[in-house]
Amino acid sequence: MKVPSTLRFWTKMKRISEDYQSRLPDNTALKQQQLPAYRLQLSATGVLSGFFAAGAFCLGMGIILILSAKSIKEIEVKYTKICANCAELREDATNFDKECTCSIPFYLSETMKGNVYMYYKLYGFYQNLYQYILSRSNSQLLGTDLKDVGNCAPFSNSHDGTPIAPCGAIANSIFNDTIILSYNLNSSIPIEVPMLKSKITWWTDKYVKFQNPSSINLSSAFAGTTKPPYWSKPVYELDEEDPGNNGFLNDDFIVWMRTAAFPTFKKLYRRLNRIQYFIEGLPAGNYSFNITYNFPVTRFKGEKSVVLSTLTWSGGSSLFLGLAYTVTGAVTWLAAFSMMAIHLMLKKKKMLFIQD
Amino acid sequence: MTAVKDATDDYFRHKSDNQVNNRLSEVLINSKLQNEKWMNVKVGDIVKLENNQFVAADLLLLSSSEPHSLCYIETAELDGETNLKVRHALSVTSELGADINRLAKFDGIVVCEAPNNKLDKFMGVLSWKDSKHSLNNENIILRGCILRNTSWCFGMVIFAGPDTKLIQNSGKTKLKRTSIDRLLNTLVLWIFGFLVCLGIILAIGNSIWENQVGDQFRTFLFWKEGMKNPVFSGFLTFWSYIIILNTVVPISLYVSMEVIRLGHSYFINWDRRMYYSGKSTPAEARTTTLNEELGQIEYIFSDKTGTLTQNIMTFKKCSINGKIYGEVHDDMGQKTHMTKKNEPVDFSVNPQADRTFQFFDHRLMESIKLGDSKVYEFLRLLALCHTVMSEENSAGQLIYQVQSPDEGALVTAARNFGFIFKSRTPETITVEELGTLVTYQLLAFLDFNNIRKRMSVIVRNPEGQIKLYCKGADTILFEKLHPSNEDLLNLTTDHLSEFAGEGLRTLAIAYRDLDDKYFKEWHKMLEDANALMDERDERIAGLYEEIERDLMLLGATAVEDKLQEGVIETITNLSLAHIKIWVLTGDKQETAINIGYACNMLTDDMKDVFIISGNTAVEVREELRKAKENLFGQNRSSSNGHVVFEKQQLELDSVVEETITGDYALIINGHSLAHALESDVKNDLIELACMCKTVVCCRVTPLQKAQVVELVKNYRHAVTLAIGDGANDVSMIKSAHIGVGISGQEGLQAVLASDYSFAQFRYLQRLLLVHGRWSYFRMCKFLRYFFYKNFAFTLVHFWFGFFCGFSAQTVYDQWFIALFNIVYTSLPVLAMGIFDQDVSDQSSMDYPQLYEPGQLNLLFNKHKFFICMAHGIYTSLVLFFIPYGAFYNVAGEDGQLIADYQSFAVTMATSLVIVVSVQIALDTSYWTVINHVFIWGSIATYFSVLFTMHSNGIFGIFPSQFPFVGNARHSLTQKCIWLVILLTTVASVMPVVVFRFLKVDLFPTLSDQIRQRQKSQKKARPLRSQRPQTRRSSSRRSGYAFAHQEGYGELITSGRNMRAKNPPPASGLEKTPYNSTSWIENLCKKTTDTVSSFSQDKTVKL
Repeated sequence: MKVPSTLRFWTKMKRISEDYQSRLPDNTALKQQQLPAYRLQLSATGVLSGFFAAGAFCLGMGIILILSAKSIKEIEVKYTKICANCAELREDATNFDKECTCSIPFYLSETMKGNVYMYYKLYGFYQNLYQYILSRSNSQLLGTDLKDVGNCAPFSNSHDGTPIAPCGAIANSIFNDTIILSYNLNSSIPIEVPMLKSKITWWTDKYVKFQNPSSINLSSAFAGTTKPPYWSKPVYELDEEDPGNNGFLNDDFIVWMRTAAFPTFKKLYRRLNRIQYFIEGLPAGNYSFNITYNFPVTRFKGEKSVVLSTLTWSGGSSLFLGLAYTVTGAVTWLAAFSMMAIHLMLKKKKMLFIQD
Repeated sequence: MTAVKDATDDYFRHKSDNQVNNRLSEVLINSKLQNEKWMNVKVGDIVKLENNQFVAADLLLLSSSEPHSLCYIETAELDGETNLKVRHALSVTSELGADINRLAKFDGIVVCEAPNNKLDKFMGVLSWKDSKHSLNNENIILRGCILRNTSWCFGMVIFAGPDTKLIQNSGKTKLKRTSIDRLLNTLVLWIFGFLVCLGIILAIGNSIWENQVGDQFRTFLFWKEGMKNPVFSGFLTFWSYIIILNTVVPISLYVSMEVIRLGHSYFINWDRRMYYSGKSTPAEARTTTLNEELGQIEYIFSDKTGTLTQNIMTFKKCSINGKIYGEVHDDMGQKTHMTKKNEPVDFSVNPQADRTFQFFDHRLMESIKLGDSKVYEFLRLLALCHTVMSEENSAGQLIYQVQSPDEGALVTAARNFGFIFKSRTPETITVEELGTLVTYQLLAFLDFNNIRKRMSVIVRNPEGQIKLYCKGADTILFEKLHPSNEDLLNLTTDHLSEFAGEGLRTLAIAYRDLDDKYFKEWHKMLEDANALMDERDERIAGLYEEIERDLMLLGATAVEDKLQEGVIETITNLSLAHIKIWVLTGDKQETAINIGYACNMLTDDMKDVFIISGNTAVEVREELRKAKENLFGQNRSSSNGHVVFEKQQLELDSVVEETITGDYALIINGHSLAHALESDVKNDLIELACMCKTVVCCRVTPLQKAQVVELVKNYRHAVTLAIGDGANDVSMIKSAHIGVGISGQEGLQAVLASDYSFAQFRYLQRLLLVHGRWSYFRMCKFLRYFFYKNFAFTLVHFWFGFFCGFSAQTVYDQWFIALFNIVYTSLPVLAMGIFDQDVSDQSSMDYPQLYEPGQLNLLFNKHKFFICMAHGIYTSLVLFFIPYGAFYNVAGEDGQLIADYQSFAVTMATSLVIVVSVQIALDTSYWTVINHVFIWGSIATYFSVLFTMHSNGIFGIFPSQFPFVGNARHSLTQKCIWLVILLTTVASVMPVVVFRFLKVDLFPTLSDQIRQRQKSQKKARPLRSQRPQTRRSSSRRSGYAFAHQEGYGELITSGRNMRAKNPPPASGLEKTPYNSTSWIENLCKKTTDTVSSFSQDKTVKL
């Protein structure tokens, strides 16, 4: 190919001039480390005003949080010791088919206004153990492949090799007490407080993470699998009253499957259905918990309790956050004042020094 | 990663090494001259060298273009001396001439010593044509020399490649690592130990937990039987935790460090202010692993020739008959400083003038025009009394061949002022005096030697008058003056002091009129003395003394050994930065001292200058002891009777040391150094040397340079830098922590061995004070932040262990752990590590004291490491326990569970990313666009990655890999989670701000002060109390400018170095016996026409 001579000439010239230039570094801000920049410096006014502002915010927030935590009505009933006979019964695994109920009366001195939530609370139950958290199969719970028992060992297959559904230690150890709250309106006839079991799970859990296998009915969908060893009923018969609340989509099951961060935790069990007497919330009066005691905790020195609680704007927060904010705010202000004192003192000294 | 980078570094080094290896030289192969690469030159090859060529190997000189097969070499590369040396071939081989065929048939056998590093000794025997000839150093041309004033020569290769004396001297290449690297290795070990401790604690915890709780819990959970044993479980837990917690020292630390260093190296390469346009050479960081060490230098070892000086002598000033010429005066007759406006004297009327010569004082030209006879005599002396040879080049221009650049400068000055030295024969000197040719008869040549420190010629002018012209060291010469010179002497002395004060090399100039009769008597006596066998030298010396008296002083000359640009400022600034500069040179003591004064390294304010020049170990020890006594004695008296014990004093840091000792200087000679470096005196030497402000080692061999560097390295544990330009500096460059080569020179050896190279000494200031300081500052900041970050990141697992039955459950999502160091937090800290500046480059240069933290290693050390660790631990505590407290008994806004493990993990991770980002934002003191992009970008990246990984879509595809579906959406819409994140951020950052604020307020560092000052926009008042002084109070020093060797007088008077004149009796040369005296002396003995010939206790110098 013939290159026009002028073009060649120019490319050559360009190369020469580049060669000549190439040794001199470019005069760019980046290469000469002259990028325009803001020099950050802790100036006294900036730091002190920041501290005062942060302190004020923290104190304010702390007080608000404490007040709102105080406004929460909460009642907790520990029933491990109260139902000692049941607890004793459950220590022996062979008694699993023997039913044990336990009724715990209590008096609510104040009305719990607004939405009331019922929780079960476990003490000393380590849902955060490494191997425990691992022991589940998300793809099985998604309903696509029931035979995928992935990490579920040792609860992946039954003795005859049938896959367990739902598999894994988490599912196997599901909290299986039944708690019914009754309201003694006139000290004779207890009324069962209407409770909702819907909307106690995360939306994503219910609609994304957990799916039932698609089939005409659930029992056939779960054919070829077996129930976890600790379960008395197969997964498709968890809720006899509401057929839609069965299989992997059972709300109690989903709640349990969301493992708690710490060994002491409470999980949402029921919501108050605000009808009839309970439109305002739970009125003061005599109540009782009727508990079907199934879940053994004494073996690992744990405890169980049932909690009734209302909420505030920030959810069911405890006092801790409010206190922590207040303390932080106070410390921030203290620091700000002492810094200001030191700074002013030094300034004065410097001035004196200059005057001298 | 590091390996890849080192490999590329090596590759580029290799490439430039090739450049040297592939240099061509002409080798005689198959009776033909062929170009051959250096690396292929073998022992026994016959090589042809041409003028100004580098010598490729150690050669035995066979023949050359010059008479008697002399050849001139410049050894600046080897020892830094600038004067030319003479080598000569054996007469038997010199007959070979340029006859290729005969040379090709040359079949002599050389038996010689094994390869060694002694530059000034060679012993061997040449067997050829049935006779044996002894060889010594005078017959050998060493690799690294440059052939000068000789159009060609032939030599036979004796040592090639690694056997050459130059390479034998260059020491071994060692892998260099910075002190931070070494510290890091220790720290990593410590951290590993810490990790093991944590692992053990957690493992024990696990065993106990398994025993107390887990046992029952596990049966309930139906675990495998094998897992029941608590001890075994603890053992497994230990390893699990080691794996989980090893993120404390992530691999990304090392990778990031290399990236930062690479960035800093590029900044050095890109710096326009270290680009020398004269040679179009930019600075170059040849290694990319040592940058932060540039910020910690305590000792600089500098070569003299080519590094501090330009190796150019210029005639600067003179004092003629009590009048100074050369100063620039303005119209008012006041002295002014050199400015650009000054017009140099126009020499265009003189067709023979040297164009490069510049003189700024027009009054000298005027004096010549006026016909001042003293000025004439002065210039005539300069044109007559020297050892220069003249030559005309093809263009008909006069070329001077000089063996010492000082003389060249003087003769050239005379030439430009109209006294042109034209030519010489053994008996005559022809000078063109203001247009008329005058031939002087050279009657006697009283040569220079180290004791006489002067040289004289006795000439008869055409009028028949006999005159003795003498030039020499002022101290010596002034004793020889006629008493009538008293007034002029005083005046000239003042002038000399002034010259000396400016660091000029001075010579006093005098003449004497001799009457015929007296001279004849004297000459007769000289001839008699020459014929004597015993005490000949003493007699001759006495006769010289006898005639060189009653001299009439003419004046003095001042020659400038031109320093490189900006050397004085650089040295002053570096000293202000508490960097000690030692000059190590192969050159003469006087020259070295002179340069010391010229560079302000030696001043008259100094209390004492110790000169160690003993020849034996005992002498040296005694001298050292005396010097030390002197030093401590004066200290004791000056510190009011406080007896400072030497050992204590050694332990004191350099600052205190300086205040204690005041200013002292140590000058030590190469041969004394050899003794002083022996193990028992070593300590004394280092102790003394380190207390002196300035140390000058002269006449040192390349290997000694390295030894001195090693000495300081090993005994002071200081960070050293060696800078040099020649092959003789290679060993020192290699052994110092950092080697800097001056690039753009002919020889590449020093640059090739160096870690950094640039074209001018003055760039050292910017390299250290700006780039080095910044590098160190940034690297330390980076490390502090990095350790903090990883402790904060990792230790939450430890705290969580206490709440999860020590089951090695991680706090965060696996994905977060994988991405945290690489994606979420790497770029902001990298940007800080690369771009951060505490003060601007200008301030770094203006306040050299800012350099000090690096030397004292203040910014990152074990102490700082523990602070970072504590900071990290504190942050991890806040990060863990605030969410822990908040999550206790909490419920979501719709009553649902939010205290689940996954929400906790997300809360912690988000808090961590935010806290760590706020921290880097606080640490970054120089917010460029890049910092903004990286910091905000990292946070944005975190959230986008978080939401992506928790999205429905990705869960649908990989349900088991992304189990956190919906978590971010659910948790991060809860107010209380954000309140937790906010609180952790405030609680973990606030104390840091308090500490920093108080530290700046209570104990501000210099850089804090400068920043504050710049912030408040006040005019920066320089903190330095003293600006670098260019003028010192001048005092008399015996500066004399004879940088040349004796022996040239004989060459001239014997005519040996003159072409085709007086062919010498060849017989005298044939059986040159090998002995310790020089060949010149032997030559002179045999020749009858020598007027003056004397021998000295002269050692053969290279």
